[in-house]
Amino acid sequence: MIINYIQRALWFVGLVLLQVLILNHVLIAGYATPLLYVYFILKLDSGISRYSLLMLAFLLGIVIDIFSNTPGLNATAAVFLAFLRPSILRLFTPRDILGDFVPSFRSMGIWPFLKFAIASVLVLTTILIVMEFFSFVNPLSILIRIASCSLLTLFCIVGVESLRRA
Amino acid sequence: MRNLLNFLAKYSYWFLFLVLETLSLALLFRFNRYQQGRFFTSSNYVAGKVYDASNEFTSYFNLRSINDGLLDRNMILSKQVINLRRALEDYRLDSVEINSIEKMLPDSTKLIKAHVIRNSLNMVDNYITLDKGKLDGVKKEMGIVNGEGVVGIVYLTSRKYAVAISLLNSKSSVSCKILGTNYFGYLKWEYGNTRYAFLKELPRHASFSLGDSIVTSGYSSVFPEGIMVGTIEDMTNSGDGFSTVLKVKLSTDFGKLGDVRIISRPTLNEKNKLEGSVIGK
Repeated sequence: MIINYIQRALWFVGLVLLQVLILNHVLIAGYATPLLYVYFILKLDSGISRYSLLMLAFLLGIVIDIFSNTPGLNATAAVFLAFLRPSILRLFTPRDILGDFVPSFRSMGIWPFLKFAIASVLVLTTILIVMEFFSFVNPLSILIRIASCSLLTLFCIVGVESLRRA
Repeated sequence: MRNLLNFLAKYSYWFLFLVLETLSLALLFRFNRYQQGRFFTSSNYVAGKVYDASNEFTSYFNLRSINDGLLDRNMILSKQVINLRRALEDYRLDSVEINSIEKMLPDSTKLIKAHVIRNSLNMVDNYITLDKGKLDGVKKEMGIVNGEGVVGIVYLTSRKYAVAISLLNSKSSVSCKILGTNYFGYLKWEYGNTRYAFLKELPRHASFSLGDSIVTSGYSSVFPEGIMVGTIEDMTNSGDGFSTVLKVKLSTDFGKLGDVRIISRPTLNEKNKLEGSVIGK
């Protein structure tokens, strides 16, 4: 149990450092930035209470925000995702899984996990980028940014997930 | 009650969600200049739209009182316009125009202020009655002008009143010339239109163009040279074939004579006497 907490804390710190030190400086084609920190929210186990989920997401978001100098932006998106995560997870969880589990390729199967990840990442990036632009003056560039960020983030998630399984 | 509590317990994470989101958004708008500006401009836009709509609606209720106010204002303003126009006319008569006439006049001439108290337009021989007479120095054959131009010639005087031959009189005959040349003729009026008179006995070779100004020639003893009479409107040949007749649009509007000035020339009598003695011999 304690190992579980420590592991989660390490992931937290690792992902935050990865995000703020490296990934935030990635800007592919002027649009795409990977938002890998969402992986932390995805990987919380399915039985976690909604309170813990919301609080952890808020904490994660605010820490990312503090480092990237955008107070409230990532927190808003992360809390929103944490709010929706149980529903999304329920939607994509295969029927034959019983009890609590940590969402992953192995536990859910590749395709369900991918759908879960796609939905979650889309929610996060949409909220994040809409709040970032905070206007619909330029809908095309908002859409491109949402799509490219989501795609890149998903790439990273799939990459990390594959590495962990290996 | 228990259902309510159950419901609250079940959905209490909503409150946490709302609290966290509110906190995040508060941070977002508090510390990010861009979002802050965006937020306030869009809220201003929304507020503006709302106020617009409500104003659109409520403005109809005020139309009646606004109308009343406008009517009052309108009446005040038109009263002011009338007063100002009157003041402007007085001003023009008292100084500007008369000054310009005075500049034209020799130093020896004097202007006597007078007011028209009776005037006619529709007779063959029209006369003007003025409220100044012998006591004020008005004498026979003095010229009368107003701000616009020549009005007439004093014909009879009493102690306090004077009767003048208007330009609109068959007996009136004023020596005039075309401004800028010395070709001259006599201005006569023919019964009919009060805005036009005819300049007769103008030499056929006189050069002019329509619209030229006709001024007094100064040859008659009544008016000094250069007082405005009117502008050339049209021309015809006279019956005898030796001279031209010009139709002159009179600059004076006889329909609204008010304040006039009588030109008093002290040297008038002397000149008349001299001329009379020549003709007499």
